Amino acid sequence: MGESDGYSEKELLRMIRKWVPRERVPKRVRIKDTADFFRVDYDDVVVLDKVPYFVRNNEREGRFGIDDEQKFWVKRARNLLTGDVKILKWVFRERFEARIGNLVFDCVRSPQKEARILELVSGKPAFMQGKTVLDTAGNQLRILDYIRGKTLGQVALELGSDHEDYFHNHFPALLAEFMGLTEAIRFLHDHNEKHGDIRRDHIIKDDATGHYRWIDFDFNYRHGESRFGYDLFGLGNVLLFLAGRGDVTTYRLLRERPDVFDRLTEDDVNIVFHNRVNNLKKVYPYVPEKLNRVLMHFAVSAPVYYETTQELLDDLGEL
Amino acid sequence: MDTQPENPVKDKHLLIAVDESDSSRRAVLYVADFLGGFPGFTLTLLSVIPEPEQDFYETEAELKAWIEEKTGTANKLLEHYRTILIQSGFPEDKVRVHVCVGDAKSLSDAILAIRCDLTCCTVVVGRHHKTKTEEFLFGSTSNRLIHEAKNCAVWVVE
Repeated sequence: MGESDGYSEKELLRMIRKWVPRERVPKRVRIKDTADFFRVDYDDVVVLDKVPYFVRNNEREGRFGIDDEQKFWVKRARNLLTGDVKILKWVFRERFEARIGNLVFDCVRSPQKEARILELVSGKPAFMQGKTVLDTAGNQLRILDYIRGKTLGQVALELGSDHEDYFHNHFPALLAEFMGLTEAIRFLHDHNEKHGDIRRDHIIKDDATGHYRWIDFDFNYRHGESRFGYDLFGLGNVLLFLAGRGDVTTYRLLRERPDVFDRLTEDDVNIVFHNRVNNLKKVYPYVPEKLNRVLMHFAVSAPVYYETTQELLDDLGEL
Repeated sequence: MDTQPENPVKDKHLLIAVDESDSSRRAVLYVADFLGGFPGFTLTLLSVIPEPEQDFYETEAELKAWIEEKTGTANKLLEHYRTILIQSGFPEDKVRVHVCVGDAKSLSDAILAIRCDLTCCTVVVGRHHKTKTEEFLFGSTSNRLIHEAKNCAVWVVE
Protein backbone atom coordinates (compact mmCIF):
# COMPACT_ATOMS: atom_id res chain seq x y z
CA MET A 1 0.00 0.00 0.00
CA GLY A 2 1.37 3.42 -0.89
CA GLU A 3 0.85 6.97 0.14
CA SER A 4 -2.95 7.18 0.10
CA ASP A 5 -3.30 10.62 1.68
CA GLY A 6 -6.77 9.81 2.80
CA TYR A 7 -8.25 8.89 -0.58
CA SER A 8 -10.68 6.00 -0.18
CA GLU A 9 -11.09 3.49 -2.99
CA LYS A 10 -14.66 4.68 -3.48
CA GLU A 11 -13.53 8.27 -3.81
CA LEU A 12 -10.79 7.35 -6.29
CA LEU A 13 -13.22 5.34 -8.42
CA ARG A 14 -15.57 8.30 -8.46
CA MET A 15 -12.74 10.53 -9.69
CA ILE A 16 -11.64 8.00 -12.30
CA ARG A 17 -15.18 7.80 -13.67
CA LYS A 18 -15.10 11.55 -14.14
CA TRP A 19 -12.14 11.46 -16.51
CA VAL A 20 -12.11 8.01 -18.03
CA PRO A 21 -14.66 6.35 -20.36
CA ARG A 22 -16.90 3.87 -18.55
CA GLU A 23 -15.40 0.82 -20.25
CA ARG A 24 -11.96 1.83 -19.05
CA VAL A 25 -12.88 2.20 -15.40
CA PRO A 26 -11.41 -0.68 -13.40
CA LYS A 27 -13.48 -2.62 -10.90
CA ARG A 28 -10.95 -2.08 -8.17
CA VAL A 29 -8.23 0.47 -7.62
CA ARG A 30 -4.85 -0.33 -6.17
CA ILE A 31 -2.81 2.46 -4.69
CA LYS A 32 0.85 1.65 -5.29
CA ASP A 33 3.95 2.95 -3.63
CA THR A 34 6.11 4.64 -6.23
CA ALA A 35 9.28 3.59 -4.42
CA ASP A 36 9.10 0.32 -6.39
CA PHE A 37 8.17 1.62 -9.80
CA PHE A 38 8.42 -1.72 -11.59
CA ARG A 39 5.37 -2.80 -9.61
CA VAL A 40 3.37 0.23 -10.66
CA ASP A 41 1.14 -0.89 -13.47
CA TYR A 42 -1.77 -0.01 -15.73
CA ASP A 43 -4.90 0.96 -13.72
CA ASP A 44 -2.93 1.60 -10.52
CA VAL A 45 -3.14 4.88 -8.66
CA VAL A 46 -0.09 6.63 -7.24
CA VAL A 47 -0.31 9.62 -4.95
CA LEU A 48 2.37 12.25 -5.35
CA ASP A 49 2.45 15.53 -3.52
CA LYS A 50 -1.06 14.70 -2.29
CA VAL A 51 -2.34 14.40 -5.86
CA PRO A 52 -3.69 11.04 -7.09
CA TYR A 53 -2.59 9.90 -10.56
CA PHE A 54 -4.32 7.13 -12.47
CA VAL A 55 -1.57 5.20 -14.28
CA ARG A 56 -1.98 4.27 -17.91
CA ASN A 57 0.50 2.79 -20.40
CA ASN A 58 4.27 2.87 -20.44
CA GLU A 59 5.69 5.38 -22.87
CA ARG A 60 7.72 4.26 -25.84
CA GLU A 61 10.71 5.59 -27.67
CA GLY A 62 9.05 7.13 -30.67
CA ARG A 63 11.45 6.92 -33.58
CA PHE A 64 11.55 3.37 -34.74
CA GLY A 65 8.00 2.46 -35.65
CA ILE A 66 5.99 -0.40 -34.22
CA ASP A 67 8.89 -2.16 -32.59
CA ASP A 68 9.46 0.77 -30.28
CA GLU A 69 11.04 -0.14 -27.02
CA GLN A 70 8.85 0.47 -23.98
CA LYS A 71 10.21 2.77 -21.36
CA PHE A 72 9.12 1.03 -18.16
CA TRP A 73 10.27 3.96 -16.10
CA VAL A 74 8.07 6.42 -17.98
CA LYS A 75 4.31 6.09 -17.59
CA ARG A 76 1.42 8.09 -18.82
CA ALA A 77 -1.04 9.00 -16.06
CA ARG A 78 -4.07 11.17 -15.46
CA ASN A 79 -4.17 13.70 -12.65
CA LEU A 80 -7.44 12.72 -10.98
CA LEU A 81 -7.98 16.18 -9.52
CA THR A 82 -7.71 18.13 -12.79
CA GLY A 83 -8.04 15.48 -15.49
CA ASP A 84 -4.74 16.58 -17.06
CA VAL A 85 -2.66 13.89 -18.68
CA LYS A 86 0.87 13.78 -17.27
CA ILE A 87 4.00 11.78 -17.75
CA LEU A 88 5.38 10.20 -14.61
CA LYS A 89 9.05 9.51 -14.91
CA TRP A 90 11.02 7.59 -12.37
CA VAL A 91 14.51 9.01 -12.60
CA PHE A 92 17.79 7.22 -12.14
CA ARG A 93 21.39 7.75 -13.04
CA GLU A 94 22.76 5.60 -15.79
CA ARG A 95 26.27 5.79 -17.16
CA PHE A 96 26.95 4.26 -20.51
CA GLU A 97 29.12 4.54 -23.57
CA ALA A 98 27.62 5.95 -26.74
CA ARG A 99 29.02 4.97 -30.08
CA ILE A 100 29.02 6.87 -33.35
CA GLY A 101 30.90 4.90 -35.96
CA ASN A 102 34.21 4.01 -34.33
CA LEU A 103 33.95 6.85 -31.86
CA VAL A 104 33.04 5.88 -28.29
CA PHE A 105 32.28 8.47 -25.63
CA ASP A 106 30.97 8.60 -22.08
CA CYS A 107 27.35 9.53 -21.52
CA VAL A 108 25.12 9.74 -18.50
CA ARG A 109 21.39 9.92 -17.95
CA SER A 110 21.32 12.38 -15.09
CA PRO A 111 18.36 13.20 -12.85
CA GLN A 112 20.11 16.33 -11.61
CA LYS A 113 20.59 17.63 -15.12
CA GLU A 114 16.96 17.20 -16.05
CA ALA A 115 15.84 18.84 -12.81
CA ARG A 116 18.21 21.77 -13.39
CA ILE A 117 16.99 22.33 -16.92
CA LEU A 118 13.32 21.99 -16.02
CA GLU A 119 13.85 24.75 -13.52
CA LEU A 120 15.82 26.85 -16.01
CA VAL A 121 13.19 26.59 -18.75
CA SER A 122 10.13 26.88 -16.53
CA GLY A 123 7.52 28.88 -18.42
CA LYS A 124 9.39 28.75 -21.73
CA PRO A 125 7.08 27.41 -24.45
CA ALA A 126 9.91 25.88 -26.47
CA PHE A 127 10.55 23.29 -23.76
CA MET A 128 8.71 20.49 -22.06
CA GLN A 129 7.54 21.61 -18.63
CA GLY A 130 7.54 19.67 -15.42
CA LYS A 131 8.42 19.45 -11.78
CA THR A 132 10.22 17.12 -9.42
CA VAL A 133 8.62 15.44 -6.40
CA LEU A 134 10.03 12.98 -3.91
CA ASP A 135 8.35 9.65 -3.35
CA THR A 136 7.96 7.88 0.01
CA ALA A 137 11.51 6.55 -0.19
CA GLY A 138 12.90 10.00 -0.98
CA ASN A 139 13.58 9.18 -4.64
CA GLN A 140 13.14 11.86 -7.25
CA LEU A 141 10.16 11.45 -9.50
CA ARG A 142 9.31 13.73 -12.36
CA ILE A 143 5.81 14.89 -13.23
CA LEU A 144 5.91 16.17 -16.80
CA ASP A 145 3.25 17.74 -18.96
CA TYR A 146 2.13 15.33 -21.61
CA ILE A 147 2.62 16.94 -25.00
CA ARG A 148 0.07 15.69 -27.44
CA GLY A 149 1.28 16.02 -31.00
CA LYS A 150 3.54 14.84 -33.76
CA THR A 151 7.30 15.02 -33.84
CA LEU A 152 8.94 17.55 -36.12
CA GLY A 153 10.12 14.68 -38.31
CA GLN A 154 6.60 13.32 -38.73
CA VAL A 155 5.28 16.78 -39.58
CA ALA A 156 7.93 17.30 -42.28
CA LEU A 157 7.26 13.96 -43.91
CA GLU A 158 3.54 14.66 -44.24
CA LEU A 159 3.85 18.04 -45.96
CA GLY A 160 3.84 18.65 -49.71
CA SER A 161 3.05 16.47 -52.69
CA ASP A 162 6.71 16.05 -53.58
CA HIS A 163 10.02 17.58 -52.51
CA GLU A 164 9.74 20.61 -54.76
CA ASP A 165 6.23 21.43 -53.55
CA TYR A 166 7.32 20.84 -49.96
CA PHE A 167 10.47 22.90 -50.34
CA HIS A 168 8.77 25.96 -51.83
CA ASN A 169 5.51 25.90 -49.91
CA HIS A 170 6.19 24.35 -46.52
CA PHE A 171 9.91 24.32 -45.77
CA PRO A 172 10.20 28.12 -45.19
CA ALA A 173 7.76 27.91 -42.28
CA LEU A 174 9.52 24.85 -40.86
CA LEU A 175 12.85 26.61 -41.20
CA ALA A 176 11.49 29.52 -39.18
CA GLU A 177 10.35 27.05 -36.52
CA PHE A 178 13.76 25.39 -36.60
CA MET A 179 15.44 28.73 -36.02
CA GLY A 180 13.20 29.28 -32.98
CA LEU A 181 14.16 25.85 -31.70
CA THR A 182 17.83 26.65 -32.27
CA GLU A 183 17.35 29.89 -30.32
CA ALA A 184 15.98 27.76 -27.49
CA ILE A 185 19.11 25.58 -27.56
CA ARG A 186 21.21 28.74 -27.57
CA PHE A 187 19.41 29.73 -24.38
CA LEU A 188 20.56 26.45 -22.79
CA HIS A 189 24.10 26.92 -24.07
CA ASP A 190 24.18 30.48 -22.80
CA HIS A 191 23.46 28.99 -19.39
CA ASN A 192 26.24 26.46 -19.91
CA GLU A 193 23.78 23.59 -20.30
CA LYS A 194 23.61 21.08 -23.12
CA HIS A 195 20.48 19.45 -24.41
CA GLY A 196 22.47 16.24 -24.77
CA ASP A 197 20.25 14.29 -27.12
CA ILE A 198 19.15 16.49 -29.98
CA ARG A 199 17.18 14.65 -32.61
CA ARG A 200 14.02 15.22 -34.55
CA ASP A 201 11.85 12.95 -32.41
CA HIS A 202 12.78 15.00 -29.37
CA ILE A 203 10.91 17.94 -30.85
CA ILE A 204 7.13 17.73 -30.60
CA LYS A 205 4.55 20.05 -32.09
CA ASP A 206 2.19 20.70 -29.23
CA ASP A 207 -1.36 20.32 -30.58
CA ALA A 208 -2.64 22.53 -27.80
CA THR A 209 -0.51 25.56 -28.63
CA GLY A 210 0.98 24.90 -32.07
CA HIS A 211 4.45 25.44 -30.59
CA TYR A 212 7.31 23.04 -31.16
CA ARG A 213 8.86 21.95 -27.89
CA TRP A 214 12.08 20.22 -26.91
CA ILE A 215 11.75 17.12 -24.78
CA ASP A 216 14.11 14.66 -23.07
CA PHE A 217 17.06 16.63 -21.87
CA ASP A 218 18.36 14.31 -19.16
CA PHE A 219 21.35 13.09 -21.19
CA ASN A 220 24.80 14.50 -20.80
CA TYR A 221 27.93 13.56 -22.70
CA ARG A 222 31.54 14.04 -21.80
CA HIS A 223 32.63 16.76 -24.16
CA GLY A 224 36.13 17.44 -25.29
CA GLU A 225 37.35 20.81 -26.46
CA SER A 226 33.96 21.69 -27.89
CA ARG A 227 31.36 21.66 -25.16
CA PHE A 228 28.41 21.99 -27.49
CA GLY A 229 29.73 20.21 -30.60
CA TYR A 230 27.51 17.18 -30.14
CA ASP A 231 24.42 19.36 -29.72
CA LEU A 232 25.34 21.25 -32.89
CA PHE A 233 25.75 17.95 -34.68
CA GLY A 234 22.18 17.12 -33.63
CA LEU A 235 20.90 20.46 -34.90
CA GLY A 236 22.65 19.86 -38.22
CA ASN A 237 20.96 16.49 -38.55
CA VAL A 238 17.54 17.99 -37.90
CA LEU A 239 18.12 20.78 -40.42
CA LEU A 240 19.32 18.33 -43.04
CA PHE A 241 16.24 16.18 -42.50
CA LEU A 242 13.96 19.20 -42.84
CA ALA A 243 15.67 20.51 -45.98
CA GLY A 244 15.62 17.06 -47.59
CA ARG A 245 12.10 16.18 -46.42
CA GLY A 246 13.69 13.15 -44.85
CA ASP A 247 17.16 11.74 -44.98
CA VAL A 248 18.45 11.64 -48.54
CA THR A 249 20.60 8.53 -48.54
CA THR A 250 23.09 7.34 -51.10
CA TYR A 251 21.22 4.04 -51.21
CA ARG A 252 17.96 5.78 -52.09
CA LEU A 253 19.65 7.82 -54.81
CA LEU A 254 21.35 4.76 -56.24
CA ARG A 255 17.97 3.07 -56.59
CA GLU A 256 15.81 6.02 -57.58
CA ARG A 257 18.11 8.56 -59.20
CA PRO A 258 21.28 6.84 -60.36
CA ASP A 259 22.22 9.87 -62.50
CA VAL A 260 22.41 12.02 -59.36
CA PHE A 261 24.20 9.27 -57.48
CA ASP A 262 26.88 9.19 -60.19
CA ARG A 263 27.52 12.91 -59.73
CA LEU A 264 28.12 12.63 -56.00
CA THR A 265 31.61 12.67 -54.59
CA GLU A 266 32.77 11.57 -51.18
CA ASP A 267 32.85 15.23 -50.15
CA ASP A 268 29.07 15.51 -50.50
CA VAL A 269 28.08 13.22 -47.67
CA ASN A 270 27.56 13.76 -43.98
CA ILE A 271 30.68 13.94 -41.85
CA VAL A 272 29.38 11.33 -39.44
CA PHE A 273 26.79 9.33 -41.38
CA HIS A 274 28.46 8.68 -44.68
CA ASN A 275 25.28 7.30 -46.25
CA ARG A 276 23.46 10.65 -45.90
CA VAL A 277 23.84 13.29 -48.56
CA ASN A 278 24.46 16.83 -47.32
CA ASN A 279 25.01 18.41 -50.69
CA LEU A 280 21.29 18.65 -51.40
CA LYS A 281 21.83 21.12 -54.22
CA LYS A 282 23.16 18.26 -56.32
CA VAL A 283 19.93 16.39 -55.68
CA TYR A 284 17.49 19.31 -55.76
CA PRO A 285 18.97 22.15 -57.86
CA TYR A 286 16.45 24.70 -56.48
CA VAL A 287 17.99 24.47 -52.99
CA PRO A 288 19.54 27.94 -52.52
CA GLU A 289 23.30 28.18 -52.39
CA LYS A 290 23.26 29.83 -48.96
CA LEU A 291 21.21 27.06 -47.40
CA ASN A 292 23.38 24.44 -49.06
CA ARG A 293 26.45 26.13 -47.65
CA VAL A 294 25.01 25.81 -44.15
CA LEU A 295 24.32 22.11 -44.76
CA MET A 296 27.84 21.62 -46.07
CA HIS A 297 29.21 22.74 -42.69
CA PHE A 298 28.12 19.26 -41.59
CA ALA A 299 29.65 17.46 -44.58
CA VAL A 300 32.88 15.52 -44.90
CA SER A 301 34.41 18.34 -46.94
CA ALA A 302 33.70 21.07 -44.35
CA PRO A 303 36.92 23.03 -43.70
CA VAL A 304 35.42 24.61 -40.56
CA TYR A 305 32.62 23.63 -38.22
CA TYR A 306 30.07 25.59 -36.26
CA GLU A 307 31.27 25.99 -32.71
CA THR A 308 28.28 27.86 -31.34
CA THR A 309 24.56 27.97 -31.94
CA GLN A 310 24.92 31.68 -32.63
CA GLU A 311 27.18 30.99 -35.62
CA LEU A 312 24.56 28.66 -37.04
CA LEU A 313 21.79 31.15 -36.33
CA ASP A 314 23.75 33.95 -38.00
CA ASP A 315 24.08 31.92 -41.18
CA LEU A 316 20.43 30.83 -41.11
CA GLY A 317 19.44 34.46 -40.60
CA GLU A 318 20.98 35.33 -43.95
CA LEU A 319 18.87 32.85 -45.91
CA MET B 1 83.72 43.86 -9.79
CA ASP B 2 80.03 43.01 -10.34
CA THR B 3 79.67 41.26 -13.71
CA GLN B 4 75.85 41.08 -13.59
CA PRO B 5 74.28 43.48 -16.09
CA GLU B 6 71.83 46.01 -14.64
CA ASN B 7 68.92 44.57 -16.65
CA PRO B 8 69.57 40.90 -17.04
CA VAL B 9 67.85 39.31 -20.03
CA LYS B 10 64.74 37.56 -18.87
CA ASP B 11 64.36 33.89 -19.68
CA LYS B 12 61.97 32.90 -22.41
CA HIS B 13 59.23 31.01 -20.61
CA LEU B 14 57.64 28.09 -22.48
CA LEU B 15 54.47 26.36 -21.36
CA ILE B 16 54.33 22.71 -22.44
CA ALA B 17 50.81 21.37 -22.04
CA VAL B 18 50.72 17.60 -21.89
CA ASP B 19 48.48 14.63 -21.26
CA GLU B 20 49.13 10.92 -21.38
CA SER B 21 49.14 10.74 -25.16
CA ASP B 22 52.04 9.89 -27.46
CA SER B 23 51.64 13.27 -29.12
CA SER B 24 52.37 15.00 -25.81
CA ARG B 25 55.43 12.87 -25.41
CA ARG B 26 56.57 13.94 -28.87
CA ALA B 27 56.08 17.59 -27.89
CA VAL B 28 58.26 17.17 -24.79
CA LEU B 29 60.96 15.32 -26.74
CA TYR B 30 60.90 18.01 -29.41
CA VAL B 31 61.55 20.76 -26.86
CA ALA B 32 64.25 18.63 -25.22
CA ASP B 33 65.92 18.05 -28.56
CA PHE B 34 65.48 21.57 -29.91
CA LEU B 35 66.33 23.70 -26.88
CA GLY B 36 68.01 21.36 -24.39
CA GLY B 37 71.39 22.73 -23.28
CA PHE B 38 70.72 26.29 -24.44
CA PRO B 39 70.63 28.95 -21.74
CA GLY B 40 67.84 31.46 -21.34
CA PHE B 41 64.79 29.20 -21.17
CA THR B 42 62.38 28.37 -18.39
CA LEU B 43 59.86 25.61 -18.91
CA THR B 44 56.60 24.86 -17.20
CA LEU B 45 55.12 21.45 -17.81
CA LEU B 46 51.35 21.70 -17.46
CA SER B 47 48.70 19.05 -17.08
CA VAL B 48 45.08 20.18 -17.08
CA ILE B 49 42.64 17.63 -15.73
CA PRO B 50 39.41 18.12 -17.64
CA GLU B 51 36.91 17.93 -14.85
CA PRO B 52 33.81 16.01 -15.79
CA GLU B 53 30.54 17.60 -14.88
CA GLN B 54 28.97 16.74 -11.56
CA ASP B 55 26.19 14.96 -13.51
CA PHE B 56 28.57 12.06 -14.03
CA TYR B 57 28.98 11.43 -10.32
CA GLU B 58 26.57 10.30 -7.66
CA THR B 59 28.25 12.28 -4.89
CA GLU B 60 30.82 15.03 -4.36
CA ALA B 61 33.05 12.47 -2.67
CA GLU B 62 33.03 10.28 -5.79
CA LEU B 63 34.07 13.24 -7.94
CA LYS B 64 36.75 14.26 -5.44
CA ALA B 65 38.21 10.75 -5.43
CA TRP B 66 38.31 10.79 -9.23
CA ILE B 67 40.14 14.12 -9.26
CA GLU B 68 42.64 12.93 -6.65
CA GLU B 69 43.42 9.85 -8.68
CA LYS B 70 43.88 11.89 -11.86
CA THR B 71 46.03 14.44 -10.06
CA GLY B 72 48.31 11.68 -8.77
CA THR B 73 48.69 10.24 -12.27
CA ALA B 74 49.35 13.69 -13.75
CA ASN B 75 52.02 14.50 -11.16
CA LYS B 76 53.85 11.27 -11.94
CA LEU B 77 53.70 12.00 -15.67
CA LEU B 78 55.00 15.54 -15.22
CA GLU B 79 57.87 14.35 -13.02
CA HIS B 80 58.82 11.85 -15.71
CA TYR B 81 58.84 14.55 -18.40
CA ARG B 82 60.72 16.91 -16.09
CA THR B 83 63.46 14.31 -15.75
CA ILE B 84 63.69 13.97 -19.54
CA LEU B 85 64.02 17.75 -19.94
CA ILE B 86 66.67 18.01 -17.22
CA GLN B 87 68.61 15.17 -18.80
CA SER B 88 68.52 17.06 -22.09
CA GLY B 89 70.37 19.97 -20.50
CA PHE B 90 67.86 22.28 -18.84
CA PRO B 91 68.87 23.33 -15.32
CA GLU B 92 66.73 21.73 -12.59
CA ASP B 93 65.51 25.07 -11.31
CA LYS B 94 64.32 26.03 -14.80
CA VAL B 95 61.86 23.15 -15.26
CA ARG B 96 58.66 23.46 -13.29
CA VAL B 97 55.49 21.45 -13.14
CA HIS B 98 51.90 22.53 -12.72
CA VAL B 99 48.72 20.48 -12.42
CA CYS B 100 45.29 22.04 -12.39
CA VAL B 101 41.67 21.03 -12.74
CA GLY B 102 39.94 22.49 -15.75
CA ASP B 103 36.62 23.43 -14.11
CA ALA B 104 33.99 24.21 -16.69
CA LYS B 105 36.55 25.66 -19.10
CA SER B 106 37.68 23.96 -22.25
CA LEU B 107 41.23 22.66 -22.21
CA SER B 108 42.43 25.42 -24.49
CA ASP B 109 40.84 28.11 -22.30
CA ALA B 110 42.50 26.61 -19.23
CA ILE B 111 45.89 26.43 -20.98
CA LEU B 112 45.63 30.02 -22.20
CA ALA B 113 44.57 31.30 -18.77
CA ILE B 114 47.64 29.69 -17.20
CA ARG B 115 49.87 30.99 -19.97
CA CYS B 116 48.61 34.43 -19.13
CA ASP B 117 49.16 33.97 -15.37
CA LEU B 118 52.71 32.70 -15.89
CA THR B 119 53.41 35.18 -18.72
CA CYS B 120 54.77 32.48 -20.99
CA CYS B 121 55.79 33.57 -24.48
CA THR B 122 55.13 30.21 -26.11
CA VAL B 123 52.66 27.37 -25.70
CA VAL B 124 53.79 23.93 -26.85
CA VAL B 125 51.35 21.08 -27.45
CA GLY B 126 51.37 17.85 -29.36
CA ARG B 127 48.95 17.38 -32.20
CA HIS B 128 46.49 14.58 -31.54
CA HIS B 129 45.58 12.81 -34.71
CA LYS B 130 41.84 12.87 -34.40
CA THR B 131 39.49 11.67 -37.05
CA LYS B 132 37.39 14.32 -38.78
CA THR B 133 34.32 12.99 -37.01
CA GLU B 134 35.96 13.28 -33.62
CA GLU B 135 37.19 16.78 -34.31
CA PHE B 136 33.76 17.78 -35.59
CA LEU B 137 31.91 16.42 -32.57
CA PHE B 138 34.30 17.24 -29.78
CA GLY B 139 36.71 19.82 -31.13
CA SER B 140 40.47 20.04 -31.24
CA THR B 141 42.53 21.68 -28.52
CA SER B 142 45.50 22.46 -30.77
CA ASN B 143 43.27 24.03 -33.43
CA ARG B 144 41.53 26.13 -30.88
CA LEU B 145 44.84 27.24 -29.33
CA ILE B 146 46.05 28.36 -32.74
CA HIS B 147 42.90 30.43 -33.24
CA GLU B 148 42.44 31.82 -29.75
CA ALA B 149 45.97 32.47 -28.48
CA LYS B 150 46.93 36.11 -28.14
CA ASN B 151 50.34 37.67 -27.41
CA CYS B 152 52.15 34.38 -27.63
CA ALA B 153 53.40 31.78 -30.07
CA VAL B 154 51.88 28.32 -30.32
CA TRP B 155 53.99 25.35 -31.29
CA VAL B 156 51.98 22.36 -32.40
CA VAL B 157 54.31 19.38 -32.62
CA GLU B 158 53.37 16.70 -35.13
